[in-house]
Amino acid sequence: MTAVEPKAVPGEVTTFQVASPHLEAVVRDLATELRLADMFAADGDTTTLRLVWANDTAGQAGYVITETPLETGVYPQLSDIAPAAFVEECEIYEQFGIRPATGKALNRVMLPPHAGLPPPGLPTLGHRPETEPEEARAAHTVGGQAFEFPFGPVRQVGVESLYYGLVTSGEEVVDLYLFTWHKHRGLEWRLQGTTPQQALFLAERTEGLSAVALGWAVAAAAEAATGTWVPEAAQRARAVALELERLYNHAAAMAALCQSTGLTVGQSAAEIALERLLRLNAQAFGHRYLFGVVAAGGVSRAPDADAIRALLPGAYGEFKRAADALLGTNSFLDRLEATGVLSAGQAKALGLVGPVARASGLAADARWVPGGPYGNETAVATGTAGDVLARFTVMLAEAAESVRLIGEFLDAGTAAGTADLPRTSGTGLGWAESPRGEALAWVELGRDGRITRARLRPASARNWRGFDDACRSQNVFTDIPIIEASFWLTVAGMAR
Amino acid sequence: MTLWFIRGLRRGVVTTRYPARPDASAASLPTPPTFRLQALTSQTADRLAETCPSGALRRDGSVLVYDVGRCTACGRCAAAAPHAVIRSGEFELATTDRSTLIKEIPVRGEGR
Repeated sequence: MTAVEPKAVPGEVTTFQVASPHLEAVVRDLATELRLADMFAADGDTTTLRLVWANDTAGQAGYVITETPLETGVYPQLSDIAPAAFVEECEIYEQFGIRPATGKALNRVMLPPHAGLPPPGLPTLGHRPETEPEEARAAHTVGGQAFEFPFGPVRQVGVESLYYGLVTSGEEVVDLYLFTWHKHRGLEWRLQGTTPQQALFLAERTEGLSAVALGWAVAAAAEAATGTWVPEAAQRARAVALELERLYNHAAAMAALCQSTGLTVGQSAAEIALERLLRLNAQAFGHRYLFGVVAAGGVSRAPDADAIRALLPGAYGEFKRAADALLGTNSFLDRLEATGVLSAGQAKALGLVGPVARASGLAADARWVPGGPYGNETAVATGTAGDVLARFTVMLAEAAESVRLIGEFLDAGTAAGTADLPRTSGTGLGWAESPRGEALAWVELGRDGRITRARLRPASARNWRGFDDACRSQNVFTDIPIIEASFWLTVAGMAR
Repeated sequence: MTLWFIRGLRRGVVTTRYPARPDASAASLPTPPTFRLQALTSQTADRLAETCPSGALRRDGSVLVYDVGRCTACGRCAAAAPHAVIRSGEFELATTDRSTLIKEIPVRGEGR
């Protein structure tokens, strides 16, 4: 197996080599204690399969990476052991032409199902699949009185287009699956050959609404790869931006929840709070969506502490007033309660993150990983019901904690500044707790300091896999927009 | 619902003409660039075209073609050539004629 049993060390990323014949046993062992946070491949002399595991225990939080060189085009069916691996098994087949040994049916994630093999000349991260599997996408159950129809890409909630396959018997949702390949942009491919600073431009635009979190994750990955230490005042400046990002996203989610339930007056109230928070971002960091704040090795600008202290109480007061009014509106709460239920078991099996996982009772938060600007006293709100209402109340509690944290970071001192990244080869993992949950990035740098392989794993890429389960939980059509608003994910983060 | 109506009246928020008042944060927002003609040499113009990640800048003979409609105000041009590029401060760019957003900036020393 390995010389040392893979174990997570608090605040650290520990990497272990696992030989291919032992991979299945190691995954069985790790899956009992840790959360499978990501899985991806990279081409070198051989294709290497990397699994990222997270220990979510407060005070013990850390990451384990297992690296397995694959001599052949197959590997064990890991999604049978850790269901969270299935989407990545599909991705890796499309990108590298390797697949689980059992020949289990795969979904199309990035490539159109009707297009066959990737045409020659189409950029891929690895080598093309040699043969096309018989199935275009994994079969879905359409039996009895149920029928299937396409839904989208224009939908009631969300400004992004998204195409669902919806299986129904009339009103109840029997099955639901996503087609995201329309929007795939090949960002991981485009990151190859860029410097870490250049990579931030694309990382910030991967989702747009997680510019700070994804920028921080990519910057931290490059900093880990080069052994660069970021000044503490700059780390706190990143944290202020990240909490402002959380605040405006939660306000936007609240507005979307109101829209999905037809409460237009509540939507307007939430959008007033959202607009005030976006203007605060502009005053504090010079950009409404906080682009360009995170730099490789630090931050490009410090927050305007006076502006935040002057404007945040009013903007959050607006948020709180709208939230309190909604919590006193029974017709609103009735639509949220017992809608889109995800159990803790489902959330754990699928490796979900952020408010979605926490509302189901899983206390996981990347801010708990020691070594960053956040202390152990960062409060992480959880729920137990796992429904839309639980997700909403978790977001409200998180917004209050963000306000407290921003004050704490400003009091401790923030400053602009960057440490120079040496031009050296290496690999590194970075993370940040985005408003949607843990965002991960992994980079491999060549000797010229440029990226040879980058992996972006926004929280959206993780949590969409829980959306269909939530929709199937005794829900009807009109619940789907409400569930989607409560997940508050981006399609762009999935179709990166 | 009545409560929401009364709450709205109490707040006194009404729809106004745009803009109700100048945006206090406008001065610090990223805005598309404007160019110092004296400093825009062919070398600088080529560097700017190469730097622009959204293809808003391209060199066409004696001019630098600047498509404001493609500019995302990322500020990379200003960072690459601060002597030749400054922030315009202009962010209200709506127009009914797309062609008005495409400008030709003469490059110094390149006669037309």
